[in-house]
Amino acid sequence: MSAGSLTSFSALHRLNAVVSFLVIAAAWQLVAISGVVPAKYFPDIPAIASAFWSMLASGELPGAELRTLTRALTGLAGASILGIGLAVLSDLSPVFRRGFAPVAALVQPIPPAALVPMAVFMLGLGPRLYAFIIILVTVWPPYFNGVAALAGVPGEQIRSGQMMALGRWQMLWQIKLPAALPEIFAGIRYASTISLIAVVVAEMLAGHDGLGFLLIRKAFAIRIPEVYALMFVCALNGILMNGIIGLLRWQLTGWHMRMTEQPA
Amino acid sequence: MDIVLKVDGLTKSYGRGADAVKVLGGISFEVGQGEFVSVVGPSGCGKTTLLFAIAGLHSLTSGSVRLKGQLVTAPPRGVAVVFQDYSRSLFPWKNNRDNVAFGMARIAGRSTGEKRARAEAMLEAVGLGGFGDKYPWQLSGGMQQRVAIARALASESELLLLDEPLAAVDAQTRSDMQDLLLDIAIRFRQTCLLVTHDVDEAVYMADRVVVLTRRPTTVDHEIRIGLGKKRDQIATRENPVFLKARHDVMTSIRNFRAAAPADALA
Repeated sequence: MSAGSLTSFSALHRLNAVVSFLVIAAAWQLVAISGVVPAKYFPDIPAIASAFWSMLASGELPGAELRTLTRALTGLAGASILGIGLAVLSDLSPVFRRGFAPVAALVQPIPPAALVPMAVFMLGLGPRLYAFIIILVTVWPPYFNGVAALAGVPGEQIRSGQMMALGRWQMLWQIKLPAALPEIFAGIRYASTISLIAVVVAEMLAGHDGLGFLLIRKAFAIRIPEVYALMFVCALNGILMNGIIGLLRWQLTGWHMRMTEQPA
Repeated sequence: MDIVLKVDGLTKSYGRGADAVKVLGGISFEVGQGEFVSVVGPSGCGKTTLLFAIAGLHSLTSGSVRLKGQLVTAPPRGVAVVFQDYSRSLFPWKNNRDNVAFGMARIAGRSTGEKRARAEAMLEAVGLGGFGDKYPWQLSGGMQQRVAIARALASESELLLLDEPLAAVDAQTRSDMQDLLLDIAIRFRQTCLLVTHDVDEAVYMADRVVVLTRRPTTVDHEIRIGLGKKRDQIATRENPVFLKARHDVMTSIRNFRAAAPADALA
Protein backbone atom coordinates (compact mmCIF):
# COMPACT_ATOMS: atom_id res chain seq x y z
CA MET A 1 0.00 0.00 0.00
CA SER A 2 2.97 2.31 0.52
CA ALA A 3 4.24 4.50 -2.30
CA GLY A 4 7.48 2.50 -2.33
CA SER A 5 5.87 -0.81 -3.14
CA LEU A 6 3.74 0.86 -5.80
CA THR A 7 6.75 2.31 -7.67
CA SER A 8 8.73 -0.91 -7.46
CA PHE A 9 5.64 -2.68 -8.80
CA SER A 10 5.42 -0.44 -11.86
CA ALA A 11 9.21 -0.53 -12.33
CA LEU A 12 8.98 -4.32 -12.48
CA HIS A 13 6.20 -3.98 -15.04
CA ARG A 14 8.32 -1.68 -17.15
CA LEU A 15 11.23 -4.13 -16.99
CA ASN A 16 8.90 -6.93 -18.10
CA ALA A 17 7.77 -4.86 -21.06
CA VAL A 18 11.36 -4.14 -22.12
CA VAL A 19 12.28 -7.83 -21.89
CA SER A 20 9.22 -8.89 -23.94
CA PHE A 21 10.06 -6.27 -26.55
CA LEU A 22 13.67 -7.45 -26.83
CA VAL A 23 12.56 -11.09 -27.15
CA ILE A 24 10.14 -10.23 -29.97
CA ALA A 25 12.80 -8.13 -31.75
CA ALA A 26 15.31 -10.97 -31.46
CA ALA A 27 12.83 -13.52 -32.82
CA TRP A 28 12.01 -11.16 -35.67
CA GLN A 29 15.65 -10.70 -36.53
CA LEU A 30 16.24 -14.50 -36.46
CA VAL A 31 13.34 -15.14 -38.84
CA ALA A 32 14.49 -12.32 -41.15
CA ILE A 33 18.08 -13.55 -41.48
CA SER A 34 17.09 -17.24 -41.69
CA GLY A 35 15.60 -16.61 -45.14
CA VAL A 36 12.41 -18.58 -44.44
CA VAL A 37 10.41 -15.58 -45.61
CA PRO A 38 11.65 -13.59 -48.63
CA ALA A 39 13.69 -10.64 -47.28
CA LYS A 40 11.77 -8.35 -49.62
CA TYR A 41 8.56 -8.84 -47.62
CA PHE A 42 10.14 -9.41 -44.25
CA PRO A 43 12.98 -6.92 -43.77
CA ASP A 44 15.30 -7.24 -40.80
CA ILE A 45 15.32 -4.87 -37.84
CA PRO A 46 18.13 -2.56 -39.09
CA ALA A 47 16.30 -2.04 -42.40
CA ILE A 48 13.09 -1.12 -40.57
CA ALA A 49 15.00 1.13 -38.18
CA SER A 50 16.70 2.99 -41.01
CA ALA A 51 13.36 3.39 -42.82
CA PHE A 52 11.93 4.79 -39.58
CA TRP A 53 14.88 7.14 -39.21
CA SER A 54 14.72 8.47 -42.76
CA MET A 55 10.96 9.18 -42.46
CA LEU A 56 11.65 10.90 -39.16
CA ALA A 57 14.49 13.00 -40.58
CA SER A 58 12.52 13.99 -43.69
CA GLY A 59 9.71 15.27 -41.48
CA GLU A 60 7.00 13.23 -43.16
CA LEU A 61 6.59 10.94 -40.14
CA PRO A 62 6.35 13.65 -37.41
CA GLY A 63 3.78 15.57 -39.45
CA ALA A 64 1.65 12.49 -40.12
CA GLU A 65 1.97 11.31 -36.54
CA LEU A 66 0.90 14.66 -35.15
CA ARG A 67 -2.18 14.79 -37.38
CA THR A 68 -3.24 11.22 -36.62
CA LEU A 69 -2.72 11.57 -32.90
CA THR A 70 -4.54 14.90 -32.75
CA ARG A 71 -7.49 13.40 -34.64
CA ALA A 72 -7.60 10.32 -32.41
CA LEU A 73 -7.35 12.33 -29.18
CA THR A 74 -9.86 15.05 -30.05
CA GLY A 75 -12.19 12.39 -31.46
CA LEU A 76 -11.87 10.32 -28.31
CA ALA A 77 -12.47 13.35 -26.08
CA GLY A 78 -15.58 14.31 -28.05
CA ALA A 79 -16.88 10.75 -28.15
CA SER A 80 -16.29 10.27 -24.43
CA ILE A 81 -18.15 13.45 -23.52
CA LEU A 82 -20.98 12.51 -25.88
CA GLY A 83 -21.06 8.93 -24.56
CA ILE A 84 -21.21 10.08 -20.95
CA GLY A 85 -23.87 12.63 -21.88
CA LEU A 86 -26.01 9.95 -23.54
CA ALA A 87 -25.51 7.65 -20.55
CA VAL A 88 -26.61 10.42 -18.17
CA LEU A 89 -29.64 11.11 -20.36
CA SER A 90 -30.48 7.39 -20.31
CA ASP A 91 -30.19 7.43 -16.54
CA LEU A 92 -32.41 10.49 -16.13
CA SER A 93 -35.05 9.37 -18.62
CA PRO A 94 -36.16 5.74 -18.94
CA VAL A 95 -38.07 6.73 -22.10
CA PHE A 96 -34.85 7.90 -23.73
CA ARG A 97 -33.02 4.78 -22.55
CA ARG A 98 -35.60 2.46 -24.09
CA GLY A 99 -35.70 4.47 -27.30
CA PHE A 100 -31.95 4.80 -27.69
CA ALA A 101 -30.97 1.20 -26.84
CA PRO A 102 -32.08 -0.27 -30.20
CA VAL A 103 -30.33 2.55 -32.08
CA ALA A 104 -27.12 1.78 -30.18
CA ALA A 105 -27.48 -1.94 -30.82
CA LEU A 106 -27.93 -1.29 -34.54
CA VAL A 107 -25.18 1.28 -35.13
CA GLN A 108 -22.52 -0.14 -32.82
CA PRO A 109 -21.50 -3.20 -34.91
CA ILE A 110 -20.86 -1.19 -38.12
CA PRO A 111 -17.08 -1.34 -38.81
CA PRO A 112 -15.34 2.02 -39.36
CA ALA A 113 -14.34 1.07 -42.93
CA ALA A 114 -17.99 0.52 -43.88
CA LEU A 115 -18.84 4.05 -42.76
CA VAL A 116 -16.22 5.78 -44.87
CA PRO A 117 -17.84 5.77 -48.37
CA MET A 118 -21.16 7.30 -47.29
CA ALA A 119 -19.39 9.69 -44.95
CA VAL A 120 -17.23 10.94 -47.85
CA PHE A 121 -20.31 11.58 -49.98
CA MET A 122 -22.08 13.44 -47.20
CA LEU A 123 -19.27 15.23 -45.41
CA GLY A 124 -16.44 15.51 -47.94
CA LEU A 125 -12.82 14.84 -47.06
CA GLY A 126 -12.27 17.38 -44.28
CA PRO A 127 -12.16 17.18 -40.50
CA ARG A 128 -15.91 16.54 -40.35
CA LEU A 129 -15.31 13.15 -41.95
CA TYR A 130 -12.88 12.17 -39.21
CA ALA A 131 -15.09 13.53 -36.47
CA PHE A 132 -18.08 11.60 -37.79
CA ILE A 133 -16.28 8.26 -38.14
CA ILE A 134 -14.35 8.42 -34.88
CA ILE A 135 -17.35 9.45 -32.82
CA LEU A 136 -19.65 6.89 -34.40
CA VAL A 137 -17.34 3.99 -33.55
CA THR A 138 -15.84 5.33 -30.30
CA VAL A 139 -18.89 6.59 -28.47
CA TRP A 140 -20.18 3.12 -27.48
CA PRO A 141 -17.81 1.87 -24.77
CA PRO A 142 -18.15 5.03 -22.62
CA TYR A 143 -21.92 4.99 -23.28
CA PHE A 144 -22.54 1.32 -22.42
CA ASN A 145 -20.23 1.38 -19.41
CA GLY A 146 -21.79 4.65 -18.30
CA VAL A 147 -25.34 3.27 -18.46
CA ALA A 148 -24.34 0.13 -16.53
CA ALA A 149 -22.32 2.04 -13.93
CA LEU A 150 -24.99 4.69 -13.32
CA ALA A 151 -27.61 1.98 -12.88
CA GLY A 152 -25.27 0.13 -10.52
CA VAL A 153 -24.69 2.91 -7.99
CA PRO A 154 -25.45 1.32 -4.58
CA GLY A 155 -28.91 2.09 -3.20
CA GLU A 156 -27.37 3.08 0.15
CA GLN A 157 -25.35 5.84 -1.52
CA ILE A 158 -28.44 7.10 -3.35
CA ARG A 159 -30.47 7.02 -0.12
CA SER A 160 -27.69 8.83 1.72
CA GLY A 161 -28.03 11.54 -0.91
CA GLN A 162 -31.83 11.56 -0.57
CA MET A 163 -31.49 12.03 3.20
CA MET A 164 -29.49 15.18 2.37
CA ALA A 165 -32.34 16.29 0.07
CA LEU A 166 -30.04 16.42 -2.96
CA GLY A 167 -31.75 17.49 -6.17
CA ARG A 168 -31.50 15.49 -9.37
CA TRP A 169 -28.38 17.31 -10.63
CA GLN A 170 -26.67 17.38 -7.25
CA MET A 171 -27.29 13.64 -6.98
CA LEU A 172 -25.77 13.17 -10.42
CA TRP A 173 -22.80 15.42 -9.84
CA GLN A 174 -22.00 14.57 -6.21
CA ILE A 175 -22.85 10.85 -6.08
CA LYS A 176 -23.73 9.08 -9.31
CA LEU A 177 -20.96 10.37 -11.58
CA PRO A 178 -18.11 9.94 -9.05
CA ALA A 179 -19.38 6.43 -8.33
CA ALA A 180 -19.65 5.58 -12.04
CA LEU A 181 -16.41 7.20 -13.21
CA PRO A 182 -14.06 4.20 -12.74
CA GLU A 183 -16.23 2.01 -14.94
CA ILE A 184 -16.66 4.81 -17.47
CA PHE A 185 -12.88 5.14 -17.66
CA ALA A 186 -12.55 1.44 -18.41
CA GLY A 187 -14.80 2.16 -21.39
CA ILE A 188 -12.78 5.20 -22.47
CA ARG A 189 -9.60 3.16 -22.32
CA TYR A 190 -11.11 0.56 -24.59
CA ALA A 191 -12.47 3.30 -26.86
CA SER A 192 -9.00 4.83 -27.23
CA THR A 193 -7.79 1.80 -29.19
CA ILE A 194 -10.87 1.86 -31.40
CA SER A 195 -10.38 5.57 -32.00
CA LEU A 196 -6.80 5.01 -33.26
CA ILE A 197 -7.95 2.22 -35.54
CA ALA A 198 -10.80 4.33 -36.91
CA VAL A 199 -8.52 7.29 -37.68
CA VAL A 200 -5.93 5.18 -39.50
CA VAL A 201 -8.61 3.34 -41.50
CA ALA A 202 -10.29 6.62 -42.46
CA GLU A 203 -6.95 8.10 -43.50
CA MET A 204 -6.15 5.02 -45.58
CA LEU A 205 -9.48 5.06 -47.38
CA ALA A 206 -10.20 8.74 -47.78
CA GLY A 207 -7.37 10.80 -46.36
CA HIS A 208 -4.70 12.99 -47.88
CA ASP A 209 -2.45 13.07 -44.83
CA GLY A 210 -1.82 11.28 -41.55
CA LEU A 211 -0.31 7.91 -40.68
CA GLY A 212 -2.90 5.84 -42.54
CA PHE A 213 -2.39 7.85 -45.73
CA LEU A 214 1.40 7.62 -45.42
CA LEU A 215 1.16 3.88 -44.84
CA ILE A 216 -0.99 3.22 -47.88
CA ARG A 217 1.26 5.42 -50.06
CA LYS A 218 4.36 3.52 -48.91
CA ALA A 219 2.56 0.23 -49.51
CA PHE A 220 1.64 1.21 -53.08
CA ALA A 221 5.26 2.26 -53.65
CA ILE A 222 6.31 -1.16 -52.28
CA ARG A 223 8.47 0.50 -49.62
CA ILE A 224 8.17 -2.53 -47.33
CA PRO A 225 10.56 -1.44 -44.50
CA GLU A 226 8.67 1.88 -44.31
CA VAL A 227 5.34 0.03 -44.05
CA TYR A 228 6.66 -2.02 -41.14
CA ALA A 229 8.09 1.07 -39.47
CA LEU A 230 4.68 2.76 -39.74
CA MET A 231 2.96 -0.31 -38.28
CA PHE A 232 5.36 -0.04 -35.39
CA VAL A 233 4.42 3.63 -34.95
CA CYS A 234 0.71 2.66 -34.88
CA ALA A 235 1.48 0.19 -32.09
CA LEU A 236 3.43 2.83 -30.16
CA ASN A 237 0.48 5.22 -30.48
CA GLY A 238 -1.66 2.69 -28.63
CA ILE A 239 0.79 2.73 -25.73
CA LEU A 240 1.02 6.52 -25.82
CA MET A 241 -2.76 6.86 -25.76
CA ASN A 242 -3.02 4.43 -22.88
CA GLY A 243 -0.45 6.46 -20.97
CA ILE A 244 -2.36 9.71 -21.51
CA ILE A 245 -5.63 8.12 -20.37
CA GLY A 246 -3.85 6.51 -17.42
CA LEU A 247 -2.71 9.96 -16.25
CA LEU A 248 -6.22 11.37 -16.56
CA ARG A 249 -7.65 8.33 -14.82
CA TRP A 250 -5.21 8.76 -11.95
CA GLN A 251 -6.22 12.43 -11.65
CA LEU A 252 -9.96 11.75 -11.59
CA THR A 253 -10.34 8.28 -10.09
CA GLY A 254 -7.05 7.75 -8.27
CA TRP A 255 -9.02 6.66 -5.19
CA HIS A 256 -10.39 3.71 -7.13
CA MET A 257 -6.99 2.68 -8.49
CA ARG A 258 -5.53 2.78 -4.97
CA MET A 259 -8.57 0.95 -3.57
CA THR A 260 -8.34 -1.91 -6.07
CA GLU A 261 -4.56 -2.18 -5.77
CA GLN A 262 -4.82 -2.40 -2.00
CA PRO A 263 -3.97 -5.86 -0.63
CA ALA A 264 -7.20 -7.45 0.57
CA MET B 1 -41.46 13.98 27.77
CA ASP B 2 -41.70 15.56 24.30
CA ILE B 3 -42.69 13.26 21.49
CA VAL B 4 -40.08 13.25 18.71
CA LEU B 5 -41.61 10.60 16.48
CA LYS B 6 -45.24 9.59 16.17
CA VAL B 7 -46.13 6.74 13.83
CA ASP B 8 -49.88 6.41 13.44
CA GLY B 9 -51.68 3.58 11.61
CA LEU B 10 -48.90 3.18 9.08
CA THR B 11 -49.67 0.68 6.32
CA LYS B 12 -47.62 -0.24 3.28
CA SER B 13 -48.70 -2.46 0.40
CA TYR B 14 -46.75 -3.49 -2.66
CA GLY B 15 -48.47 -4.13 -5.96
CA ARG B 16 -52.06 -3.40 -6.95
CA GLY B 17 -55.44 -5.10 -6.99
CA ALA B 18 -55.55 -8.83 -6.35
CA ASP B 19 -51.75 -9.13 -6.42
CA ALA B 20 -51.24 -6.48 -3.73
CA VAL B 21 -49.20 -7.67 -0.77
CA LYS B 22 -49.79 -5.88 2.49
CA VAL B 23 -46.46 -5.74 4.32
CA LEU B 24 -47.23 -3.28 7.09
CA GLY B 25 -50.75 -3.62 8.43
CA GLY B 26 -51.20 -0.53 10.59
CA ILE B 27 -48.28 0.30 12.88
CA SER B 28 -48.57 2.86 15.67
CA PHE B 29 -45.96 3.83 18.25
CA GLU B 30 -44.14 6.85 19.61
CA VAL B 31 -40.58 7.75 20.48
CA GLY B 32 -39.92 10.37 23.14
CA GLN B 33 -37.11 12.92 23.37
CA GLY B 34 -33.83 11.24 24.34
CA GLU B 35 -35.32 7.77 24.24
CA PHE B 36 -33.61 4.72 22.76
CA VAL B 37 -36.28 2.50 21.23
CA SER B 38 -35.69 -0.87 19.58
CA VAL B 39 -38.06 -2.33 17.03
CA VAL B 40 -37.80 -6.09 16.74
CA GLY B 41 -39.89 -8.63 14.86
CA PRO B 42 -39.83 -11.98 13.07
CA SER B 43 -37.78 -12.26 9.88
CA GLY B 44 -39.45 -10.73 6.86
CA CYS B 45 -41.91 -8.60 8.83
CA GLY B 46 -40.85 -5.44 6.99
CA LYS B 47 -38.62 -3.77 9.58
CA THR B 48 -36.50 -2.03 6.96
CA THR B 49 -39.62 -0.99 5.04
CA LEU B 50 -40.90 0.60 8.27
CA LEU B 51 -37.61 2.40 8.86
CA PHE B 52 -37.46 3.73 5.30
CA ALA B 53 -41.06 4.93 5.61
CA ILE B 54 -40.16 6.81 8.79
CA ALA B 55 -37.11 8.30 7.03
CA GLY B 56 -39.34 9.57 4.22
CA LEU B 57 -37.56 7.34 1.70
CA HIS B 58 -40.66 5.20 1.03
CA SER B 59 -44.19 6.43 0.48
CA LEU B 60 -46.90 5.18 2.83
CA THR B 61 -50.06 3.44 1.67
CA SER B 62 -52.00 4.93 4.57
CA GLY B 63 -51.44 6.33 8.04
CA SER B 64 -48.93 9.01 9.01
CA VAL B 65 -45.44 9.66 10.33
CA ARG B 66 -44.83 12.85 12.29
CA LEU B 67 -41.49 14.24 13.35
CA LYS B 68 -41.95 16.79 16.15
CA GLY B 69 -45.52 17.22 14.92
CA GLN B 70 -44.51 17.79 11.29
CA LEU B 71 -45.93 15.34 8.76
CA VAL B 72 -43.11 13.41 7.03
CA THR B 73 -43.58 13.17 3.26
CA ALA B 74 -39.94 13.38 2.12
CA PRO B 75 -36.63 12.85 3.97
CA PRO B 76 -36.86 15.47 6.74
CA ARG B 77 -33.91 17.56 7.86
CA GLY B 78 -34.08 16.22 11.39
CA VAL B 79 -33.56 12.53 10.61
CA ALA B 80 -30.29 10.67 10.03
CA VAL B 81 -29.97 7.04 8.98
CA VAL B 82 -27.17 4.56 9.61
CA PHE B 83 -27.59 1.83 7.01
CA GLN B 84 -26.77 -1.82 7.48
CA ASP B 85 -24.26 -2.03 4.65
CA TYR B 86 -21.62 0.53 5.66
CA SER B 87 -19.33 -0.36 2.76
CA ARG B 88 -22.03 0.74 0.33
CA SER B 89 -23.36 3.77 2.18
CA LEU B 90 -20.06 5.66 2.52
CA PHE B 91 -18.51 7.33 -0.52
CA PRO B 92 -15.21 5.64 -1.40
CA TRP B 93 -14.00 8.68 -3.36
CA LYS B 94 -14.21 10.90 -0.28
CA ASN B 95 -11.86 10.60 2.66
CA ASN B 96 -13.41 9.96 6.06
CA ARG B 97 -13.52 13.65 7.01
CA ASP B 98 -15.37 14.57 3.82
CA ASN B 99 -17.70 11.60 4.26
CA VAL B 100 -18.61 12.90 7.71
CA ALA B 101 -18.88 16.47 6.44
CA PHE B 102 -21.41 15.25 3.87
CA GLY B 103 -23.74 14.70 6.84
CA MET B 104 -23.84 18.50 7.25
CA ALA B 105 -25.06 19.14 3.69
CA ARG B 106 -28.41 20.39 5.01
CA ILE B 107 -27.02 22.60 7.74
CA ALA B 108 -26.95 26.14 6.41
CA GLY B 109 -24.65 28.99 7.34
CA ARG B 110 -21.46 27.10 8.17
CA SER B 111 -18.11 27.75 6.63
CA THR B 112 -16.05 24.94 5.12
CA GLY B 113 -13.59 25.36 7.98
CA GLU B 114 -16.32 24.95 10.60
CA LYS B 115 -17.67 21.86 8.86
CA ARG B 116 -14.18 20.42 8.67
CA ALA B 117 -13.60 21.02 12.37
CA ARG B 118 -16.93 19.50 13.29
CA ALA B 119 -16.25 16.47 11.08
CA GLU B 120 -12.96 15.95 12.93
CA ALA B 121 -14.78 16.27 16.25
CA MET B 122 -17.37 13.69 15.24
CA LEU B 123 -14.64 11.27 14.13
CA GLU B 124 -13.03 11.85 17.51
CA ALA B 125 -16.38 11.07 19.20
CA VAL B 126 -16.57 7.64 17.55
CA GLY B 127 -12.95 6.88 18.43
CA LEU B 128 -11.48 7.64 15.01
CA GLY B 129 -9.53 10.80 15.79
CA GLY B 130 -6.69 11.19 13.28
CA PHE B 131 -8.38 9.05 10.62
CA GLY B 132 -9.84 12.01 8.72
CA ASP B 133 -7.34 11.81 5.86
CA LYS B 134 -7.79 8.06 5.41
CA TYR B 135 -10.40 6.61 3.08
CA PRO B 136 -13.23 4.31 4.23
CA TRP B 137 -11.77 1.37 2.29
CA GLN B 138 -8.57 1.67 4.30
CA LEU B 139 -10.50 0.84 7.49
CA SER B 140 -11.96 -2.35 8.93
CA GLY B 141 -15.71 -3.00 8.75
CA GLY B 142 -16.38 -1.86 12.30
CA MET B 143 -14.38 1.32 11.76
CA GLN B 144 -16.28 2.05 8.55
CA GLN B 145 -19.55 1.78 10.43
CA ARG B 146 -18.12 4.23 13.00
CA VAL B 147 -17.53 6.70 10.15
CA ALA B 148 -21.16 6.22 9.08
CA ILE B 149 -22.26 6.87 12.68
CA ALA B 150 -20.09 10.00 12.80
CA ARG B 151 -21.71 11.19 9.56
CA ALA B 152 -25.17 10.67 11.08
CA LEU B 153 -24.15 12.54 14.26
CA ALA B 154 -22.73 15.42 12.23
CA SER B 155 -26.16 16.11 10.77
CA GLU B 156 -27.42 17.20 14.22
CA SER B 157 -30.63 15.27 13.76
CA GLU B 158 -33.60 15.02 16.12
CA LEU B 159 -33.82 11.30 15.43
CA LEU B 160 -31.17 8.75 14.57
CA LEU B 161 -32.51 5.73 12.66
CA LEU B 162 -30.35 2.63 12.91
CA ASP B 163 -31.13 -0.05 10.33
CA GLU B 164 -29.49 -3.21 11.71
CA PRO B 165 -26.24 -1.26 11.83
CA LEU B 166 -24.24 -4.05 13.46
CA ALA B 167 -25.53 -7.03 11.48
CA ALA B 168 -22.45 -7.18 9.28
CA VAL B 169 -19.69 -6.90 11.91
CA ASP B 170 -18.16 -9.74 13.92
CA ALA B 171 -19.46 -10.58 17.41
CA GLN B 172 -16.72 -8.89 19.45
CA THR B 173 -16.78 -5.74 17.36
CA ARG B 174 -20.55 -5.78 17.74
CA SER B 175 -20.40 -5.58 21.56
CA ASP B 176 -17.92 -2.69 21.33
CA MET B 177 -20.13 -0.91 18.83
CA GLN B 178 -23.24 -1.43 20.96
CA ASP B 179 -21.51 0.31 23.86
CA LEU B 180 -20.21 3.03 21.55
CA LEU B 181 -23.75 3.71 20.29
CA LEU B 182 -25.13 3.77 23.84
CA ASP B 183 -22.34 6.10 24.94
CA ILE B 184 -23.02 8.43 22.03
CA ALA B 185 -26.78 8.36 22.65
CA ILE B 186 -26.15 9.52 26.24
CA ARG B 187 -23.44 12.09 25.45
CA PHE B 188 -25.31 13.73 22.58
CA ARG B 189 -28.76 13.20 24.16
CA GLN B 190 -29.58 11.55 20.84
CA THR B 191 -33.02 10.07 20.31
CA CYS B 192 -32.52 6.69 18.63
CA LEU B 193 -34.70 4.15 16.87
CA LEU B 194 -32.96 0.84 16.30
CA VAL B 195 -34.42 -1.76 13.96
CA THR B 196 -32.95 -5.22 14.42
CA HIS B 197 -33.68 -8.94 14.23
CA ASP B 198 -31.34 -9.59 17.18
CA VAL B 199 -33.48 -9.85 20.34
CA ASP B 200 -30.52 -9.64 22.75
CA GLU B 201 -29.27 -6.50 21.04
CA ALA B 202 -32.77 -4.98 20.99
CA VAL B 203 -33.18 -5.48 24.75
CA TYR B 204 -29.58 -4.59 25.68
CA MET B 205 -29.66 -1.25 23.86
CA ALA B 206 -33.16 0.04 24.50
CA ASP B 207 -35.20 1.94 27.05
CA ARG B 208 -38.21 0.39 25.35
CA VAL B 209 -38.72 -2.46 22.89
CA VAL B 210 -41.50 -2.44 20.29
CA VAL B 211 -42.34 -6.02 19.28
CA LEU B 212 -43.82 -6.48 15.82
CA THR B 213 -46.05 -9.31 14.56
CA ARG B 214 -45.57 -11.18 11.31
CA ARG B 215 -47.05 -9.88 8.04
CA PRO B 216 -49.21 -7.91 7.65
CA THR B 217 -47.20 -6.39 10.45
CA THR B 218 -48.65 -4.53 13.43
CA VAL B 219 -47.28 -3.73 16.88
CA ASP B 220 -47.85 -6.75 19.11
CA HIS B 221 -46.80 -5.11 22.36
CA GLU B 222 -44.18 -2.85 23.91
CA ILE B 223 -41.95 -3.51 26.90
CA ARG B 224 -40.18 -0.89 28.97
CA ILE B 225 -36.68 -2.07 29.89
CA GLY B 226 -36.16 -0.75 33.42
CA LEU B 227 -32.38 -0.94 33.47
CA GLY B 228 -31.45 2.75 33.42
CA LYS B 229 -29.22 4.35 30.79
CA LYS B 230 -25.93 2.72 31.84
CA ARG B 231 -25.50 -0.79 30.48
CA ASP B 232 -22.73 -3.33 30.84
CA GLN B 233 -22.04 -6.21 28.48
CA ILE B 234 -21.68 -8.71 31.35
CA ALA B 235 -23.74 -7.40 34.27
CA THR B 236 -26.72 -6.18 32.21
CA ARG B 237 -27.02 -9.44 30.35
CA GLU B 238 -27.19 -11.31 33.69
CA ASN B 239 -29.70 -8.89 35.23
CA PRO B 240 -33.12 -10.53 35.91
CA VAL B 241 -34.83 -7.53 34.27
CA PHE B 242 -32.85 -8.14 31.07
CA LEU B 243 -33.52 -11.88 31.20
CA LYS B 244 -37.23 -11.43 31.76
CA ALA B 245 -37.55 -8.94 28.87
CA ARG B 246 -35.48 -11.18 26.61
CA HIS B 247 -37.70 -14.15 27.53
CA ASP B 248 -40.83 -12.17 26.77
CA VAL B 249 -39.64 -10.89 23.35
CA MET B 250 -38.09 -14.22 22.36
CA THR B 251 -41.34 -16.07 23.18
CA SER B 252 -43.45 -13.67 21.09
CA ILE B 253 -41.16 -13.95 18.10
CA ARG B 254 -40.97 -17.74 18.34
CA ASN B 255 -44.77 -17.92 18.41
CA PHE B 256 -45.04 -15.73 15.31
CA ARG B 257 -42.49 -17.85 13.49
CA ALA B 258 -44.29 -21.07 14.46
CA ALA B 259 -47.62 -19.66 13.26
CA ALA B 260 -46.20 -18.47 9.96
CA PRO B 261 -46.39 -20.65 6.85
CA ALA B 262 -42.93 -21.98 6.00
CA ASP B 263 -42.53 -19.86 2.86
CA ALA B 264 -43.14 -16.62 4.78
CA LEU B 265 -39.96 -17.27 6.73
CA ALA B 266 -37.77 -17.42 3.65
